[in-house]
Amino acid sequence: MIKYAEKADQALELPVFDKVRYDHWGLDEIQPGQGQSDQTYYAQGEEVGLEVVGQSATYLYLTNEMKKAGVLVMPIKDAKLRYPEMVDLVQGKVATADQDRLTAANELDHTTGIFVYIPSKIKVEPKIHLYLNHLVEAGDLSARVLVYMGANSSAEVLLETHTVGETASKATIVVEVMAESQSKLTFANFDDLSARTNAFINRQAVVKNQAKVDWINAAFSDGNIVSQVSSRLIGEGAASAVKVAAFTNQKQVQGFNTEVQNIGRHTIGHIYQRGVILNSSSLVFNGRGTIIKGAKGSDAQQESRVLMLSERGRGEANPLLLIDESDVTAGHAASVGQVDEQQLYYLMSRGLPEHVARRLVVRGFVGEVLAKLPDVDLQNRVIAAIERKLAYENRSL
Amino acid sequence: MKTLEIIDLHVTVEGKEILKGVNLVVNTGEIHAIMGPNGTGKSTLSQTIMGHPAYEITQGKIILDGQDLAEMSVDERARAGLFLAMQYPAEIQGITNFEFMRSAVNARRADDDQVNLMDFIKELDEKREFLSMSNEMANRYLNEGFSGGEKKRNEILQMMMIHPNIAILDEIDSGLDIDALKVVSKGVNSMRSDDFATLMITHYQRLLDYIVPDFVHVMMGGKVVKTGGPELAKRLEGEGYRALRDELGLDIALTDEDADLMV
Repeated sequence: MIKYAEKADQALELPVFDKVRYDHWGLDEIQPGQGQSDQTYYAQGEEVGLEVVGQSATYLYLTNEMKKAGVLVMPIKDAKLRYPEMVDLVQGKVATADQDRLTAANELDHTTGIFVYIPSKIKVEPKIHLYLNHLVEAGDLSARVLVYMGANSSAEVLLETHTVGETASKATIVVEVMAESQSKLTFANFDDLSARTNAFINRQAVVKNQAKVDWINAAFSDGNIVSQVSSRLIGEGAASAVKVAAFTNQKQVQGFNTEVQNIGRHTIGHIYQRGVILNSSSLVFNGRGTIIKGAKGSDAQQESRVLMLSERGRGEANPLLLIDESDVTAGHAASVGQVDEQQLYYLMSRGLPEHVARRLVVRGFVGEVLAKLPDVDLQNRVIAAIERKLAYENRSL
Repeated sequence: MKTLEIIDLHVTVEGKEILKGVNLVVNTGEIHAIMGPNGTGKSTLSQTIMGHPAYEITQGKIILDGQDLAEMSVDERARAGLFLAMQYPAEIQGITNFEFMRSAVNARRADDDQVNLMDFIKELDEKREFLSMSNEMANRYLNEGFSGGEKKRNEILQMMMIHPNIAILDEIDSGLDIDALKVVSKGVNSMRSDDFATLMITHYQRLLDYIVPDFVHVMMGGKVVKTGGPELAKRLEGEGYRALRDELGLDIALTDEDADLMV
């Protein structure tokens, strides 16, 4: 696999993000760091999960029950040494190295990452809270996160990605999820990379018979980001719901490819995206639902909405449905608009000052996604992040 | 005591004059009803008092306790004691009813004196039950997917939580069945006090059986053309608006000739 990637690396094209020009961000010239740390930045008390800082694991806690059941949560380099055959069930099998130059390069050069393995029939109760911190002083970030869901297992994983340090930097993060039959996974992420970090983030899942993978993508990084979420529903009755909430501010550019492929029969793919644009930032949602020939009884729905809080910003919501089967249901809605004056008036008529009313409307706009984040403390931090970004808002609209 | 004074009010919407000299005085402790045929400016009056940006005052003024409302923003009017139960409340996805009402209550309090969460929950639960609303409504998104009746109850619930001094109820009875009408009326009646006034806008006398007004005003052609007690509403119910118009010798076309045939 490594050899293949090595060859493929330079020959492949950059991944395509329609309406986003990012070839000058230098994402194919990553110099991955090998930073070490003994500091825990985010993990709290007795929470189940793992914090990785640079290449170091600074926090790890699993319940005895989880350990006894064979649940594995560890840095990827440990997993490769101790459980190579398990790593092999996922790595390169979901985000294959032949798909684009950045994914191939990540396959080859990642220096950090996380491995999560849920054995068959194991239902993990507490959410698994993962933190991946980029130590920018040590170099760029090239990280791979692997999640294996055994047949009939279930789990909830929350991955936070933070920048530690001020230096300008680059990052590629590839997340692969292999969901075996009848497994259920909710994978939520909170991206919080710095304004000086350009990043490529690729999250992909292969979803087998009757399995379900739900993504909640809370994209709150301050830098330039191209971000992809993709579910391949290969098994009969497989399902995936993808929810995206994104804020862009200042001069930031963020492009999103959000994709569900209905391949098996009776598969269900739902995409729901909400983006807010501040200042002179730009945000592009490309939603893509693909139903292949033979995926009878499948359903592909998508709704992407962009709220423009600034006249200097640029926003797009491009829905695409590619359907090659007649016995299906599908639909899409997309809009780019401004704050609803009737909503503002209604809130103000109850005594809320205009700035509070605006904040509520904006927060409500992404509220459906925030409500799905599996951590109340994180929800509050996201709300704080929204307030911080709104503080820059141009009020002279 | 608070007083809302409407003096020779002329209002245009999108360049068209709808109100043509309305005069009205509402004091706390009083219940007023405004009746009138369709298209006569009743809702325009309520939206203008609240300060909807689409309604432009071209002449006259509205005074709340000596202060000209023209100088106050919508939220300032609300915090000064005005409330408008809207005919078509906005739906806002992503904000729960609970969060919204707490923000509305807190908007009236100092930053260092925000409402105690447990006290707020207790009051909300009591009032919600008083209005026969389900427990889950607090966690539903604001008005989203609410039925017509649920929206009306939710407007009344907000009024009861906010404790305004002067509440304008814009067709709070429209689309309600008799049970819901009784519940909504019970809510309004529970607010009756020396510190509270209501200005009800309605097409139908039926509401006034449940919320008995002190004053009934009839609007036609953008003006209040007659004021009386509850008996005036009963008379309209029997005779219709056309008879009153003809008696007063008004030259006003009733836009909806069915309006005076209501039963």
